[in-house]
Amino acid sequence: MNNQEGTKRAKMRWGMVSIAICFLAMLGFIFPKYTNIAINNINALAYLGLPNISEESFRLGLDLQGGAHLIYEADVQHVAAEDRATAVEGVRDAVERRVNGTGVSEPNVQTARVGEAYRLIVDLPGIENVNEAIKLIGETPVLEFKEENDVPPRALNEEERERITQTNSAAKARSEEVVARAVGGESFEELVSELSEDTTTKNNGGSLGNVEAGLGITDPLYDWAKTHVEGDISETPIETELGYHVLKRGKDGESKEKVSASHILICYFGAQGCEDETYTKESALEKAQELFTQANAENFADLAKEFSTGPSKGAGGDLGSFGRGMMIPAFEEAVFSAEVGQIVGPVETDFGYHVIYKTDVEEVATYGLAHIMSKKLTEREVLPPQDSWKSTELSGKQLERADVAIDPQTGAVQVSLVFDKEGKKLFEDITRRNLNKPVAIFLDGSPISVPTVQAVIGGGEAVITGSFTIPEAQLLSQRLNTGALPVPITLVSQQAIGASLGAESLAKSLHAGIIAIILVMLFMVLYYRLPGVLAVISLSMYIVAALAIFKFIGVTLTLAGIAGFILSIGMAVDANVLIFERMKEELREGKSLKVAVEEGFVRAWTSIRDGNISTLITCVLLIGFGASFVQGFAATLSIGILLSMFSAITITRLFLRAIVPLFSRYGNRLFLGFTEKK
Amino acid sequence: MIPIIQKKNIPFTISTILFTVSVILLVVVGIKPGIDFTGGTLIQLRFEGERPERAALQTVVEGLELGNVLIQPADSDSHIVKMAYLEEDDHQRLLSSVRTAYESEEYKVVEESVETIGPSISSDLRSRSIKAGLGVVIAIILFIAYSFRKVSKPVSSWKFGITAIIALLHDVIITMGVFVLLGHFLGVEVGIPFVVAMLTILGYSVNDTIVVFDRIREKLMRKEYKNFAETVNVGVNETIPRSINTSVTTLLVLLGLCIFGGESVRFFSLSLVIGIILGTYSSLFLASPLLVWWEKK
Repeated sequence: MNNQEGTKRAKMRWGMVSIAICFLAMLGFIFPKYTNIAINNINALAYLGLPNISEESFRLGLDLQGGAHLIYEADVQHVAAEDRATAVEGVRDAVERRVNGTGVSEPNVQTARVGEAYRLIVDLPGIENVNEAIKLIGETPVLEFKEENDVPPRALNEEERERITQTNSAAKARSEEVVARAVGGESFEELVSELSEDTTTKNNGGSLGNVEAGLGITDPLYDWAKTHVEGDISETPIETELGYHVLKRGKDGESKEKVSASHILICYFGAQGCEDETYTKESALEKAQELFTQANAENFADLAKEFSTGPSKGAGGDLGSFGRGMMIPAFEEAVFSAEVGQIVGPVETDFGYHVIYKTDVEEVATYGLAHIMSKKLTEREVLPPQDSWKSTELSGKQLERADVAIDPQTGAVQVSLVFDKEGKKLFEDITRRNLNKPVAIFLDGSPISVPTVQAVIGGGEAVITGSFTIPEAQLLSQRLNTGALPVPITLVSQQAIGASLGAESLAKSLHAGIIAIILVMLFMVLYYRLPGVLAVISLSMYIVAALAIFKFIGVTLTLAGIAGFILSIGMAVDANVLIFERMKEELREGKSLKVAVEEGFVRAWTSIRDGNISTLITCVLLIGFGASFVQGFAATLSIGILLSMFSAITITRLFLRAIVPLFSRYGNRLFLGFTEKK
Repeated sequence: MIPIIQKKNIPFTISTILFTVSVILLVVVGIKPGIDFTGGTLIQLRFEGERPERAALQTVVEGLELGNVLIQPADSDSHIVKMAYLEEDDHQRLLSSVRTAYESEEYKVVEESVETIGPSISSDLRSRSIKAGLGVVIAIILFIAYSFRKVSKPVSSWKFGITAIIALLHDVIITMGVFVLLGHFLGVEVGIPFVVAMLTILGYSVNDTIVVFDRIREKLMRKEYKNFAETVNVGVNETIPRSINTSVTTLLVLLGLCIFGGESVRFFSLSLVIGIILGTYSSLFLASPLLVWWEKK
């Protein structure tokens, strides 16, 4: 019996010693700086050559150290459903490469799928200029390879045609009703706000402003206005492509200048829309200059037929009549400032060099008009226009390298692309599929180069030819090298916190935590006396152990995380409270101190377990919630709860067992403030 | 011993009134959703020079025609600008116009924090909050059913379960009612932290109720007392010190957090404080009397 008691005591002693060692080790792990000072002192005294431990600090969340949290949404609607995940992974890699270049320490880029949406979450800790980072990520080019859409456009089917006819005759009936009411004397303005189906003009009395001639859709309206005077209201609905209109004539507007002109376009290889490889930029200018000196009123049409590379070539260069705002600015400027009969040029635009012959100028009247529209259903609404290009699997994701190159034959500046292994295979397939057909290279959503495939290309190299200058080509290849995106992304949410605000939050929450801990400890000691002191010791161990675990498994501490941890301290005490209350009751029932201690632990355990499980269930579901605030809170709270269950029933119990033999059989005032037996 | 069961009408009356008022407030006035759920922009600007008047800053920002603007002063040198969701370009436009108006060589305007939440994110957060809420409620109901599976006499286990659920609904709804008032009078908005607090209260409230029921269960098994009402009364009374002490320690830490923890966790910890007070009250004075009342019917 005595022997058994002896081994029990020895066991307990070992337990105490190992707890103390663990405590010191964890404390050392939490404050590596002081540990290393101690290690160095020992080394200096005893020449043990102990290695220093890593001085890494806690992982702090963005809200405490400052930084930015950006959420992007990837536009995957043009990507086949099964390829979306890989496309978004490609985006992730490209964006990661980009942000790594900014010098931000430990950026974190991850993807997340929410329902049908694919998101990219970019965390940039400690970044100072968020705007720059957003710009940088936004500049990541989107490179796509597309082939011709060979799915034939669908004609309207019987049912759809029927629907259009029905809808449109109903619109006509509505419009006739409007006419009837207008004729019946109702105010036009009131009819507009009640009946017009044109949402853009509905709220300003139906005003279309001053209508010009030659705009296409509004021409029937213009024709009506021409034959009526201010205040007139149309007696029948006027039909356009968009609907039926009841019109009211306003004041005459200012007349507009309209010019007629012909032109000869000399485009060069690389200019917008140029498929002719005859000229380089320099030789195109030379040719245009030559034509300008040659041209006069008589031979202009012939020269255009012979030399122009533009679509108006067949019509002798005739562009018809046009107003301001219909041609590109450089061209417009040249035409409108020229005299009638004058030939000007060469004028440079994105399309090439133009020689222009201004043939006529006229002043065209405009008329103020207001309308009440009854909308028709157009074919376009029933059957949206088809994209002429469709995506292939090849994109910026498979790009290995981009370089600036000069075409040895034409001297044009190009960007050459080298694909990775997967890309080479895909590119070969695409060129095989599209032999003698065009393939388009899209950059940021618009085609920059539409070469025709001449041969199957197996080496995985392609070139982008565009009207590049060398610096432009260099910039593009640089952008492509730092990562090209397979799909476009848009910023949908950002959270940025300045470093000083983060530091302030950290200081405040630590302050709050320390005060909270002191209050709890005071309460426990005052209320439960000696066991309270033991609970305080076990609580300190709990805090040290929890911090060591956070650091060891790398829990990111956020403001919410610290709140969760502080809350778990309150809950950790709960286990001790349950046990001590139980002990008190057992003592009251006249049990000996030793029995009361053991019973207290055993009886309280089911309550401790059941009570904590419900909070743990909540935490597990919260971690699944996903948002970082929630996860930070739930992670620290659940680690805290698990640990507190352990510390309360092992550490406190060990301490209590150790001190029980020091006291009389039934305890004294130091125990829970209870002395009398029942 | 406090005659909790005999005097059950007092807590019943108080709880019924509070609960009904809260439900009416929730339905009629409604809780004020923050930008987590509505989408929007929150920018905190710190002025190194003199902080401009609220109205003056309002005029500057409204001049950009980006929709409604709400300005709230914060600390002694900052303003918080609240408005609809801004694209990054508009955000930069806003910053530069505020800077043009108030920045000088020596006194800068510092953007301390910015949060923009687009419509897709806010609708996602809304649906995720609802899912998490339902998930927690279902999991807790299952857990209660499980932990009281062995108690069958004289009260069936599902009655324990339903009573516990009534108590937790009581705690959560009244806390929400308080936040309706805070939203209405102080403009306090609720976001994700509030949802987290509510779910934590769910867990905590059940924890408290389970501890009380656990004690009642133990008393029932020992069969020391002559009737159910008396058994419950003794059980509850024996739990009072524990319940109060646990709440006090938890409330001490939360009050520390509420007072010293800074702006961002203030209302989060306040909602927990309210919920925990209610949770302790309801587990002692509402759940157990309810159990007895139901049994007698």
